[in-house]
Amino acid sequence: MNAQMNNVFTAKRLRWFAAAIVLANGFFPALWILLTSFKTEAELTAKPITYWPEMPTVANYIAAFRDQPLPQYLLNSFIVAFGSMIVTLFISSLAAYAIARLNLPRRNLILTTIIAVSMFPLVTLMVPLFEIMRGLNLLNSYWALIFPYTVLSLPICTLVLVSFFQEIPRDLENAAMIDGCTRMGAMWRVVVPLAAPGVFTAGILAFVNSWDEFLLSLSFNSAAAFRTLPVGIQMYQGEHSFPWPTISAALVVAMVPVVIVILIFQERVVSGLTAGGVKG
Amino acid sequence: MRHPGPRSRSWFDRIADPSEKALAWLLLTPAIVFILAIVAYPVSTLLWNSLHDVRLLTAQGARFVGTENFALVMSDGQFWRAVRNTMIIVVVTVPGALVMGLALAMLANMPFKSRGPIRLALLLPWAMPLAFVGLIFAWFFHSEYGIVNDVIQRFGGEPRIWFNSPSLTMMAICIATIWKTSSFMALILLAGLQTIPSSLYEAAEVDGASKWTQFTQITLPLLVPSMLVALIFRTLTAIQSFDIPYSMPGPGEETQTLAMYIHMNAVDYLDVGYSSALAVCMFILSMATTWIYLRYVRSDSK
Repeated sequence: MNAQMNNVFTAKRLRWFAAAIVLANGFFPALWILLTSFKTEAELTAKPITYWPEMPTVANYIAAFRDQPLPQYLLNSFIVAFGSMIVTLFISSLAAYAIARLNLPRRNLILTTIIAVSMFPLVTLMVPLFEIMRGLNLLNSYWALIFPYTVLSLPICTLVLVSFFQEIPRDLENAAMIDGCTRMGAMWRVVVPLAAPGVFTAGILAFVNSWDEFLLSLSFNSAAAFRTLPVGIQMYQGEHSFPWPTISAALVVAMVPVVIVILIFQERVVSGLTAGGVKG
Repeated sequence: MRHPGPRSRSWFDRIADPSEKALAWLLLTPAIVFILAIVAYPVSTLLWNSLHDVRLLTAQGARFVGTENFALVMSDGQFWRAVRNTMIIVVVTVPGALVMGLALAMLANMPFKSRGPIRLALLLPWAMPLAFVGLIFAWFFHSEYGIVNDVIQRFGGEPRIWFNSPSLTMMAICIATIWKTSSFMALILLAGLQTIPSSLYEAAEVDGASKWTQFTQITLPLLVPSMLVALIFRTLTAIQSFDIPYSMPGPGEETQTLAMYIHMNAVDYLDVGYSSALAVCMFILSMATTWIYLRYVRSDSK
């Protein structure tokens, strides 16, 4: 009996220990940046370094908005991520429906081809796309990023949507068609609404993919008016100066949207990621 | 029956309610168009450019040079240094992220009362842009005010000037990359862990197998499929490492990766011919890696 009690006690302690490691690993960098963003310049350059801000200040946030057009960067990131998400969802839901539901010869080959696109190194595509966008005068525009990002997320979104479409019972669709719907009508009125959670999941993945992308954004949109956040954040550093408190404040502002997205939709994100990972 | 015979269908009917096969291809058309425009066509111009002298800085048109660009690449010391740095990142961070991800997945798989915070702790690194991670870790490894040196000093060690030394910079880059990528690995492996029926462990428990035996005989073999998929993707993205090394520069261009070198030639020097040849080399490297993995998968399943 006593041994049993002991066992339960250590198992519980082990659980706390495991939780502490996972939480510290996941949250520490963001937490450290948050703490840094409230420190004064003087406190930051004092040695030994402090962990908790001694005189919390919001001056760094004011500087972050003053030194760079941070709202513009946020807006640009949002337009590009949202725009490519809409285009990706449109394209991939059509393709996924065809693959999951219609009488399509060689459907596995088609799905594999779409997924193989994601194996293509983005850096490799960057060189010709740079030249093409330059030729089309699309450098420094939202389209220069929206189009390539669509292809970036197309494979994972198609994969997620195919698995969701396959789970919807065929009878529902047939019933709608017997009741007078066309096949297209059945798709839009029955299948898409039922697959809404899948569409949502795919959308979040596409949004985060575009929100995070750096290389193409850095290469194609160098003008401040079209810079996205990951590139804009790099602009705080001067030739020799590295205003860490200001950068930290800007990072905190820039992370808020993504943190909100994963806070609200965490279960969907996980199901989408693992659907892609386990089946891909 | 709602459908009249095929002969009596008007063109309007045919568009409004096409046959199933025609509809399937119609629905696939946007995806095909995008893949052709954003992948296939650029790749063909990439191959063409790699065989030409194309510089956007000079007004002169493209000149066919055959394999001259590739000969230049092969004798380019900066290219080989970039390849070496990239391979270091691949060789260190892919196994690193796997071990770290497996550890995190095992820890996160414990029976907690609320899974929310644990899940968030795994999702946050995944959702954080790589470029941000690079900046944050550059701050961690700051020689004067960084927390890494502070901790080293508290334990009585010598603080390092991380970004003055190529090897220390590579170490910092690898640590940042492992942190960023291990959580995605953990999410995939966690999903794999949750598909393992607990009856297997109960049976092993009855047979008196130790925890370690259970781990090596049950957990690891059953995780191999999810591991392989995650590993292929991780390796391919590690070959393309750009954001983190770019945000954590070492001395000069000592820690340049292949992707950074391609970017420099294309965007800074506007030397499309040469950067295309470099990009083709990276493509070959990626394909070779995928091929090795697939070969392993095939020989493993036999």
